[in-house]
Amino acid sequence: MSSPTDATRILGVGILGAGPVTQAIHLPSLARLDHILSVRHIMDVDPKVAESVAARVGATHSTSIDALLGDPDVEIVAICSPHQFHAEQVIAACRAGKKAVLCEKPFAMNAEEAARISAVSAETGVPIIVGAMHTFDPGWLAARDNWGELPEKAHTIRSSIVLPPNSRFEDFATEIITRPAGGAPDYSDPEVIKGALRGGVMGLAIHDLPLIRRFTPDFKDIEVLEARHVRPFGYVISLRTPTRTIELRAAMNNTWKPEWSFEALSDDESLRIDFTPSYVQAGSAVATFSRGSQKTILGPFEHNGYEGEWRELAALAAGTKQPPSAQTLIDDLTFALDIAEATVATLDRRTVVQPAVSEGVHA
Amino acid sequence: MSAAAFEHYTVQATPEAQKAGAVALAVASLPESFGPAMDENSADVQVIAGQPGWTRHAVEAISAGARGIVVVNPSPENVNELTETAARHKSAVVLDQRWASNPATAAAEDAVRSMAGRAVVLDVVATAPVGTDSGALLADQLAAVVRLTGPLGNLRLLDRRPHGYTATAVLANGAPVALQGILSNARAASVTVTMLTDDGGAAVSLPDPVAAWPATVKITGPHGELLLPTIYESAHRATWRRLKEHLDAGTLPSDLQQFAAVSESIATLT
Repeated sequence: MSSPTDATRILGVGILGAGPVTQAIHLPSLARLDHILSVRHIMDVDPKVAESVAARVGATHSTSIDALLGDPDVEIVAICSPHQFHAEQVIAACRAGKKAVLCEKPFAMNAEEAARISAVSAETGVPIIVGAMHTFDPGWLAARDNWGELPEKAHTIRSSIVLPPNSRFEDFATEIITRPAGGAPDYSDPEVIKGALRGGVMGLAIHDLPLIRRFTPDFKDIEVLEARHVRPFGYVISLRTPTRTIELRAAMNNTWKPEWSFEALSDDESLRIDFTPSYVQAGSAVATFSRGSQKTILGPFEHNGYEGEWRELAALAAGTKQPPSAQTLIDDLTFALDIAEATVATLDRRTVVQPAVSEGVHA
Repeated sequence: MSAAAFEHYTVQATPEAQKAGAVALAVASLPESFGPAMDENSADVQVIAGQPGWTRHAVEAISAGARGIVVVNPSPENVNELTETAARHKSAVVLDQRWASNPATAAAEDAVRSMAGRAVVLDVVATAPVGTDSGALLADQLAAVVRLTGPLGNLRLLDRRPHGYTATAVLANGAPVALQGILSNARAASVTVTMLTDDGGAAVSLPDPVAAWPATVKITGPHGELLLPTIYESAHRATWRRLKEHLDAGTLPSDLQQFAAVSESIATLT
């Protein structure tokens, strides 16, 4: 159990995976929280990367998960490895008796894995949060405190994401030492388009799908009306449930101008949240409620959702806050998986019905 | 050049058109060009509301001698006979459409079309008050977007609900077009047209003509973002100004041809 001393002492952090997200997002966020959290151990499969990134923060480095989980200085574990390793690593961190676990989204690749993780979390008592950073953004949280019945009454929901290449913002945040190699996809290959759309849902839309789900009580009845690829990386996906119309738009291109917004509208009220770009410490989102000609604006606040995640983890590890319910995490994941699968299925149907139509060929 | 070199035209409006088109205000704001007709049968310009059957009323007005016709918010209708009648009588027919007639559309059209070949996606969202007929909203939305982009391909309606609709299309280069209509009183009625290219794009927001609030047209590129000059003039007044130019010059506007193309698109929707 925690004590007042526990609540105020600095907690040790270990990070599995030292790629751009760790370098440009988590380490800068943790640098702002050095009064409550300290990075003690960095693990990466590339020993040079592990050593270099660890040296930046004076942490131990290793290439082994067991070494990090066995390090008694590590109390909170962040899992920033490739998606396919998330489930096993979350479970291992819980079994290692850590105080809290942050898993980058998605925390599992299917519902069975998610259920297994939840069972281990319940058994071990180790709280888990998933790195859907916007759900920890003070702008979102302020909206939540003020939205009244809007989640029940909204009929239209929109998520719009326009982002420059990650490198633009990584370079504002830190000095990156490794970047994944880019490719030149063959957009005439339907399988490439499917992979891009699946990746778009599970890698980009997934940031805001928990927000959308919050406004979609009948989320289990989601249906994809149409899904299209946006070059070079993005999507236009039209969805509906029996009570909601949902539009997802995203484009990652070479623009300098980011836009990341979430909107929910009912007959008489709307909420628009404008998020700051990932990677930069540019404060929180701004939430705007509109009711006819009346507007209420909340934010910006001084920190973003990534820092919010770490504050939450510190509070969970100190025992001063309760973790999110396992069902919430499972529902968020299955919602995303359902949309990803239905998106790909829509493309399959289109390929069968209209074999000659492929707008991507001409773009 | 003095104002006296131009003609002054008399105006007669039906009560429905008077209200829908804020005709008295528009005419009063162009006092050297237009004024109320003393004798309603001899007005130079007849103003007609665009409810079903408006083309017949317009043909009758032209046949009765009107030199100019203003149609406020025309609903989709076949305009072949009207086009022929107007051409035969050299009568100018202008359409006063809530968004497509906004004076900012001229510069916005240049901006959008100059980058259309590089477009990767076009997102168009129309918002209107609860109770608005969603078919009329779609017609207004399409009129605005086609004015900016030219014809859309593969236009289809994906979903229609009491609170709005979702439609899909493609641009000439194959880039996806997403059209959404939302019925809500939460925010002011408007249409936003966002075209993204690989390195920027154009964002156009057209307001309702209930006030002379300006549209915004922003062009984003590697240079930064450019806000085109704001025009504090409603779609209504801009329509009347256009009519005046055509009447003075004796030219025929292309409104009906553009309208026919949009009406044809709507007719194909399932």
